[in-house]
Amino acid sequence: MKISKKLYSYYLIWPALLIYSIFFVLPALIGLFYSFTDWRLDRETIKFIGWDNFERIFTDKTLLLAMKNTCIFAVVTVLGKNLLGIALAVGLNMKLKSKNFLRAIFYSPSILSVLVISIVFTPMLRSEGTINRIFDAVGLHSLSQAWLTNPSIVIWTVAAVSIWQHTGFQMAIYLAGLQSISKDYYEAATIDGAGSWRSFVSITLPLLLPAININLMLTLIGGLKVFSEVFVLTGGGPGNASQVVGTIILRSFGEGSWGLGTAVNTLLFAAVTIIAIPLLIFMRRKEVSE
Amino acid sequence: MNDTMKKMATGLLAGVMTVSLAACGSGDSGSKNTSSTGNGNSGSKGSKVTIELAISKSSQDSAFVAKELLNEFEQETGIKVNLQLLPAEQTATVLQTKLAVDETPDIVQYNLASATTDLNLERNFEILDNEPWVSRLLNKEVLSAYGHVYSFHVSQDTGMQGVVYNKDMFKELGIAIPNNFEEFLAVCEKIKASGVIPVFMPFKDNWAANIWPAAAFADWAAKNEPALFDDINANKKKWADVPEFATFLEQQYDVYKKGYTNADILSDSYDMAVGKFLDKEVAMMFMGDWLIENVTEKDPNMHLGLFAIPSSDDPSLGASPLGGQLFIPKKAKHMEEAKKFLDYIATKEVAQKIVDTQSYVSNFSDVTTPELPEYKQEIVDQYITPKKTALTTDAYMIVDRAELYRLLQDQFAGGLDPEGVLQAWDEKFSQLMKDKGVEGF
Repeated sequence: MKISKKLYSYYLIWPALLIYSIFFVLPALIGLFYSFTDWRLDRETIKFIGWDNFERIFTDKTLLLAMKNTCIFAVVTVLGKNLLGIALAVGLNMKLKSKNFLRAIFYSPSILSVLVISIVFTPMLRSEGTINRIFDAVGLHSLSQAWLTNPSIVIWTVAAVSIWQHTGFQMAIYLAGLQSISKDYYEAATIDGAGSWRSFVSITLPLLLPAININLMLTLIGGLKVFSEVFVLTGGGPGNASQVVGTIILRSFGEGSWGLGTAVNTLLFAAVTIIAIPLLIFMRRKEVSE
Repeated sequence: MNDTMKKMATGLLAGVMTVSLAACGSGDSGSKNTSSTGNGNSGSKGSKVTIELAISKSSQDSAFVAKELLNEFEQETGIKVNLQLLPAEQTATVLQTKLAVDETPDIVQYNLASATTDLNLERNFEILDNEPWVSRLLNKEVLSAYGHVYSFHVSQDTGMQGVVYNKDMFKELGIAIPNNFEEFLAVCEKIKASGVIPVFMPFKDNWAANIWPAAAFADWAAKNEPALFDDINANKKKWADVPEFATFLEQQYDVYKKGYTNADILSDSYDMAVGKFLDKEVAMMFMGDWLIENVTEKDPNMHLGLFAIPSSDDPSLGASPLGGQLFIPKKAKHMEEAKKFLDYIATKEVAQKIVDTQSYVSNFSDVTTPELPEYKQEIVDQYITPKKTALTTDAYMIVDRAELYRLLQDQFAGGLDPEGVLQAWDEKFSQLMKDKGVEGF
């Protein structure tokens, strides 16, 4: 009777587990199988080709560039979204009259569709767009750039747009974390003579670690899986300058190389897992409880 | 405990199966609706067959899917045509998937050249050589690939590609049509001096960068080495082996480098082109005659024309493989009825009506070409009748060309020189041909 009561809660997992298995686990396993085949639209039969697709991924210049771009995007957005997110959250956790209004303002870009962001930013980032005009108006001509068409900076531009859009979301999670920290710690620190920086480093950051972990995971996985921002802003161009793994998958499918596309997807899944899980374990260990 | 779990699991499984069976059932009933009537029709007169015609949303104004035409066809034959409108940006992917999983529509509207690369024409589509309307065709070639008629159209008016230009501006400035590259640069200089942008390059859409090379390469090959594309497709020759190709790429880049274009060529997109011509901001653009049609639709007082890409002396006009043809998949569920639909459109009366409304150059011996718009008549007189046209390179490439377009765009982004573009394309082309299983790669 007791065991039955304990196990009762697990019954509720069944429907979700079943749906998850049918719509995610099974397709993922089938995808894993196809990544070792020469599956193509124009082939009558599908042949097992071992590691050929993966070998090709690591010898194709465009694919290697896409991986490099994905890493740049992931690192830049993880740092940008989290550092700015913490700064905004700390700032808007203070006693400000307009804090609710400002919180809403900073959060609002994250509810917009990436397509809307693209429509807004594309003209702004042109050579003669708003951003360059502002630089020109304040005498910073040297900072004017072809933001979306200069191959050497385009991926950084896309990352910056992504940071602008999503930092508010990270801020919201940090705000929730900050509000769960008891004010007693800060009062005790003030009595002990600690300044605001010392309180931030010794109290806020350690107690904010659960929120930092969540945000790091979300931004890292989002960064490695980036697709929509690049697709709508640059389409992977100019040329292949801003290709990321996500757009390469689409390209492979467009070329009819379905087996190769599935292999790239499998690789992306593996990369996300290999990077995210150890990081999660490491960060969990650093967490402290109040 | 075990019993309870078993009960729960059985209940859930039963639930899922019921839902999936219901889904199958409803899908089945839907298809049954079509197929049963279909079977009924072949067996007994009077009952209706519904054939599925898949078409990109961007082509929904096609003359072949006009409501009036479909209604008349239904009244005459009892066959209903159901349209499957596919999202424009996903048309190829959706059709590829439908063909791969045997969920084939009965008719597909697509572009012949793209169908050979995207949809595996030979494997997936019916050869139409023996259809009754084929014997009346004036120009079988525009509907053919691999030596067979695979597609249907009432027009032989392929999309002509060259330099679209504002005739009024040329007249005001006293400019004649340039007949080679030096003359073209002189024309650009004169237009630039008048304060107008000579050439609009919307290369954010990388395919637009292919108009110049696609016509220039084909013109050179037709005049100097007719077997070139066969050799390239057999891996006997590489794209980079033709030094003239690099010259043609350099020419297009020169036009930009010399300041004869819009400043933001990699930010400007094709959808801006009509506005640029209407506002008289630009005088020329490397594009197809469809742009002229789009501009004159908005302002019939605009006088635009088309001349051949002036890459070498006395060039031919680029002729892209005809777009918007109808194809019948080999696995069409209603093959007979689909063919009846083509027969119906091919009848003298219906074809004449379409040709008249659309100002097409008729492809049927017994259908008269109507009075054509000025620009089109000029194309016919100056290029088609004297046989000064060359099928663009797209017609010869049996692989996806998207990477070539990206490489062309990369040239303008400063990443590659013309030789680099051709070498990189050779590598990609070889890989794509190898993937396709083409002999020699």
